[in-house]
Amino acid sequence: MSRSLRAAAIAGVSALALGLATLPHSAQAADTTLNLFAADYGTGPADSSQIYWQGIADAFHAANPDITVKVQTVNWNDFDTKIQTMIQNRQFPDITEGDYFANYAQEGLLYKASDVLSDPGNPMPVFKALGSYQGEQYGIPFTTSSRAFFYNKKLFAEAGIADAPKTWDELQADAAKIQAKGHIGYGLPLGPEEAQAEALLWFLGNGGGFQQDGKWVINSPQNVETMEFLTKLVTAGDTEPNPGTKNRAAMLEQFAEGQVGMLNGITTLLPIIKKAGVLQDSDWGTAPITGKAGPLDKTLGVCDFAAAFKGDGTKQAAIKKFLDFTYQDKYQIAFAQEYNLLPGTTSAAKAISVQIPVLAAFVAALPKAVQYPSDPVWAQVKTQIQQIIGTAIGPDPKSVLDTIQETALKGS
Amino acid sequence: MGVLTAEQSVTTRVRRKAWSPAKLAPLLWVGPAMLLIAVVVLWPVVIMIRTAFQHISPDGFILGSAGWKNFVYLWQEPDLPGILIRTVIWVVSIVACTMLISLVLSQLFNQKFPGRRAARWALIAPWAASVMMTSIVFRWALDANNGVINVFLNDIGVLYGYNNNASDWLGRPGSAFTWMIIVAIFVSIPFSTYALLAGLQGIPSDIYEAAKVDGASPWRTYRSITLPLLRPAFIVALLINVMNVFNSFPIIWEMTRGGPGHRTSTTTTFMYQLKQSYIGESAAMSVVNFGMVVIIVLIYLRVTVWGKDEAS
Repeated sequence: MSRSLRAAAIAGVSALALGLATLPHSAQAADTTLNLFAADYGTGPADSSQIYWQGIADAFHAANPDITVKVQTVNWNDFDTKIQTMIQNRQFPDITEGDYFANYAQEGLLYKASDVLSDPGNPMPVFKALGSYQGEQYGIPFTTSSRAFFYNKKLFAEAGIADAPKTWDELQADAAKIQAKGHIGYGLPLGPEEAQAEALLWFLGNGGGFQQDGKWVINSPQNVETMEFLTKLVTAGDTEPNPGTKNRAAMLEQFAEGQVGMLNGITTLLPIIKKAGVLQDSDWGTAPITGKAGPLDKTLGVCDFAAAFKGDGTKQAAIKKFLDFTYQDKYQIAFAQEYNLLPGTTSAAKAISVQIPVLAAFVAALPKAVQYPSDPVWAQVKTQIQQIIGTAIGPDPKSVLDTIQETALKGS
Repeated sequence: MGVLTAEQSVTTRVRRKAWSPAKLAPLLWVGPAMLLIAVVVLWPVVIMIRTAFQHISPDGFILGSAGWKNFVYLWQEPDLPGILIRTVIWVVSIVACTMLISLVLSQLFNQKFPGRRAARWALIAPWAASVMMTSIVFRWALDANNGVINVFLNDIGVLYGYNNNASDWLGRPGSAFTWMIIVAIFVSIPFSTYALLAGLQGIPSDIYEAAKVDGASPWRTYRSITLPLLRPAFIVALLINVMNVFNSFPIIWEMTRGGPGHRTSTTTTFMYQLKQSYIGESAAMSVVNFGMVVIIVLIYLRVTVWGKDEAS
């Protein structure tokens, strides 16, 4: 009894002493903690984005000892669900990096880009509209990519095909030849991970899309025709089986292992190919996206954004400091190099085009890239496309596209 | 608020009966438990039902009352009929298979044989392992490209080739659902077997001796002695299984995420998927699920009362 009393007394005194010791410091500036929630672009623990962000956070903390940045990264597959659940439960992060949701801007949860970044003009202006809501920019382009058609030259040679296909008919004929050799002809990832990208690329090939002049046209005759063609392709066995359940990451891996003849890929495929060690640089090539009548002169440009949440509204200055720090060219380029993506800022994109000539063509394609709709309801539409577009492969694509169109029109 | 009022009403009811403070004493013991039930069971139910009638934005902002709209939207979901039918198939087939297999297994484990202790321990493995882990293991084993089950089936000549429709078990809704049922049975068996084993060990051996003296055949002994006396254990295992399987989430989520489309979803996974975009509608689905659970509980209560009458 007396011993514990004494212990308590000692603890009390030392706490008092500690309090006295830290008093002058805490009176100067209260420590701020920023919670950063980011998507993980890595393929494993070795190249996890956690490492990239922790590096920035540590360097930032060294320069600004009164601000601590807590980093949390989560797999891309779970990012949307996780962030949505956090918002629904009012556990706002301070900064997110990954998908940007116009609806968060609509709800007034986000800081404007100009409030939290000293130079809001440097993040690529091409993607400004995509990160905006009612003319105000909230999403800050962080990393970008453009899509290209990848094909396995080795398998093409084995099947006796000379060049990359230009039209859908050629693509199907080539896929059939590769399939006959026991490989996957065309890799069609319509599973939940990123079905919206694959679907959009095919829609574009037939003059369709998700929106036309700001109106939703998901169930347009062109899109229905596109799904009918894909159904034909799948039924003939020219793709992997049941594309509605196959995710992009798995498809890219299989391409890298030399089992897939062609697919629509992104620059992130390059390190995967290297890691697998099956294909040499001369074994694969890229070409424009195949269209129904001929190759497309445009492609899909995807941009991931950083966004700053208001929370209780007390951390704006700290967020601004951190974002200014993060958006330095060296960190932008480091991210692009780590994951073979393109930078999100104009200055870093310029620099990387010089440093890595292979990427120059992809950077050049960005300005005329087609983008996802910038509409608050896109979040729901995207979720539904990811879940059910795969079922449009079948006897009745129209009804599936109708369901998605209804979701878009129903609003949030 | 609701918690307080519930608590108060209980207090006043007790008070009305008699004014002696000593009569309140049991409340000291029962009170905390009742409070706990009110907070962690009843309160969420109230919130759930309230949410089902609210119009809520996808980001969790309440936009006003929705009336019955959430239920109407839910009823209009084109995939709902399939999901309901699938849920029934899911529960009935898994529970039926589990109980049948467990009856056999518990009988086996009740026999004396060398290595019985080790075998009993081994049976716990699927139970002890995380269901999520088991599901992921099965998902990879069934991979169309290089899953170990496909490699084996290719080796013994049942399947030919990879990345084709036949080897893509989780790509076809029918076969994916069947495989998930198999996994669910696999993880349900240990609990039921142990519950039945405990029941078997509770049957006095002199009854069996009496049956032997009377010259009853083994099958006759099983039907007339073992099964009736096993009924209490059997019913408990059965109903706990029904609840577990009905609420089962990780197996479906890890193996197919309910896909393609919603063609391998049950009401539980569908509820979760709705939540991403439509919180109110998801709550409506929860209410329907809750209603089904309540019905199962009522059946359970009726059956257990009936079981007691029979036994006495």
